[in-house]
Amino acid sequence: MMILTWGLLIVVAVLLVWGVAIYNRLVQLRNRIANAFGQIDVQLKRRHDLVPNLVEVARAYLAHESATLEAVIRARGQAQTAAAAARAQPTSAASIGALALAENALGGSLGRLMAVAENYPDLKADATMKSLSEELTSTENRLGFARQAYNDQVLDFNNEATQFPDLIVARLLGFATAAMLEATRNEAERAAPQVRF
Amino acid sequence: MRFFDHQQAARAETRRLLLAFVLAVILLVAAVHGALVLAWLLLAAFISALLPVSLSFPTGFLAVNVGVSLLLVLGGWWVETSQLRAGGLRLAQRVGAREARPSVSQVEQRFCNVLDELCIAGGVARPQPVVLARADAINAFAAGWDEHDAVIAVTQGALDQLTREELQGMVAHELSHLREGDTRLKMQLAGMVYGLELVYNFGDTVRERGGLGTLFGSAIMGAGFAGWLAGRMLKAAVSRQREFLADARAVQWTRSRDGLGGVLRKVMTQRRDGAMQRLGRSGIDHPALQHMLLVEAGADGPWADWFASHPTLAQRVRRIYGRPMGPLPLAPQPDNSAIFAAGPFSELAFDGKAP
Repeated sequence: MMILTWGLLIVVAVLLVWGVAIYNRLVQLRNRIANAFGQIDVQLKRRHDLVPNLVEVARAYLAHESATLEAVIRARGQAQTAAAAARAQPTSAASIGALALAENALGGSLGRLMAVAENYPDLKADATMKSLSEELTSTENRLGFARQAYNDQVLDFNNEATQFPDLIVARLLGFATAAMLEATRNEAERAAPQVRF
Repeated sequence: MRFFDHQQAARAETRRLLLAFVLAVILLVAAVHGALVLAWLLLAAFISALLPVSLSFPTGFLAVNVGVSLLLVLGGWWVETSQLRAGGLRLAQRVGAREARPSVSQVEQRFCNVLDELCIAGGVARPQPVVLARADAINAFAAGWDEHDAVIAVTQGALDQLTREELQGMVAHELSHLREGDTRLKMQLAGMVYGLELVYNFGDTVRERGGLGTLFGSAIMGAGFAGWLAGRMLKAAVSRQREFLADARAVQWTRSRDGLGGVLRKVMTQRRDGAMQRLGRSGIDHPALQHMLLVEAGADGPWADWFASHPTLAQRVRRIYGRPMGPLPLAPQPDNSAIFAAGPFSELAFDGKAP
């Protein structure tokens, strides 16, 4: 009887330690997803900070394109508001969706501005403009890579949480699988940022 | 290119080679002992032919032989490695590199940006960007014992001749070396080969004493030379696998084969045209650097393939593209070409909830 009790106790203890280890690993992976998401946010902020400088330099050359410039400024303002809302409620699908829409609009208006700038050789040759465009190019790349890194983390987490032994712990403690970022969600969005005149 | 497969193959190959290296050290120690036993037996036979005495092995013959050769190998390894671990920045400065100045030069701004981007892609700490300002040849290297003193150096030629995409491929390759610990592994291997070389040198010293030393010294030298040769070949073989791995990584991170592929094909053109006049003065030909470069300064001779620390350009290009590709003409990059040719702006869309 004594042996049976001890045996049971040991089995329970081992199971408990094993469960805690899995739980900790899952939490760690989930935190990494949050961190990767933070990276995207950092790059979005970088993008927002660049826009005023870019518009300022472009304004000197693009006197007749004020509509394009105003559109960029407006889109930037909306994106900033949406980003602040998303930061306050990072788990809300609605606020994240709004941020995505606002960022798409900003990307689209920036794309139009760059297309317009193509027609102004003086602007293209401006040293500050060159430097700013390089920063902008880099920011777009960083956003892309940050999204890639985010998706990699999500994949790691989902692999862990949906495979056999860990699956039990994940289900018992309510770890939901995380969603990946997709480039575009539907046809309308895919068409939105294209350059049109 | 199925880059994940290539990465796995390269890693498995490295493990096998490292095992072979350990085996080589053990064999070397055994060979030194064997050679000394042979020398002793020769001596004993010689003496017993002249005098009516029979010589037995001195006490502790095996222990001393094994002990001394191990001491030499491990001691040499330790000494050389502790010199190399002084840091990546120190090494870079020794070969004439200076820190990149993103606020002064457009191309260096681009280089620093590309590095930042790839650090996000690879999830690695940012190494220090440095520039070899006096080198025309397209080349680059990564150095550093750990992430605190890691540097990535590119030549002025690379900054001038490569497009943004190609620069990305090149930096991704070097970043992979840092992340996979290749720079460290290579320093360890260099130290080990130095240790094997010490055995040979020790034999040489003993031999020069003359008399009986000639016999025993030559024995040690022979064993040491074989070990050193094997060590160098293995080190080069490990290095070649790491190059393939880094190439595969670069394609994975940049999701583009034209990036790194373009770099290698432009190097082919430079090689063909002999456009490396300023190489000699640039410090990039430093021997301690050869195995770290993106492409090593080519070697000749029938045995060159065995000792080359890099696969040939043609081999690497074939692995990246899956078929042989020719050289790519050089085209000096105007400052802003890549900037305005940048693709569509990346869009953000979130499908579902953020964490």
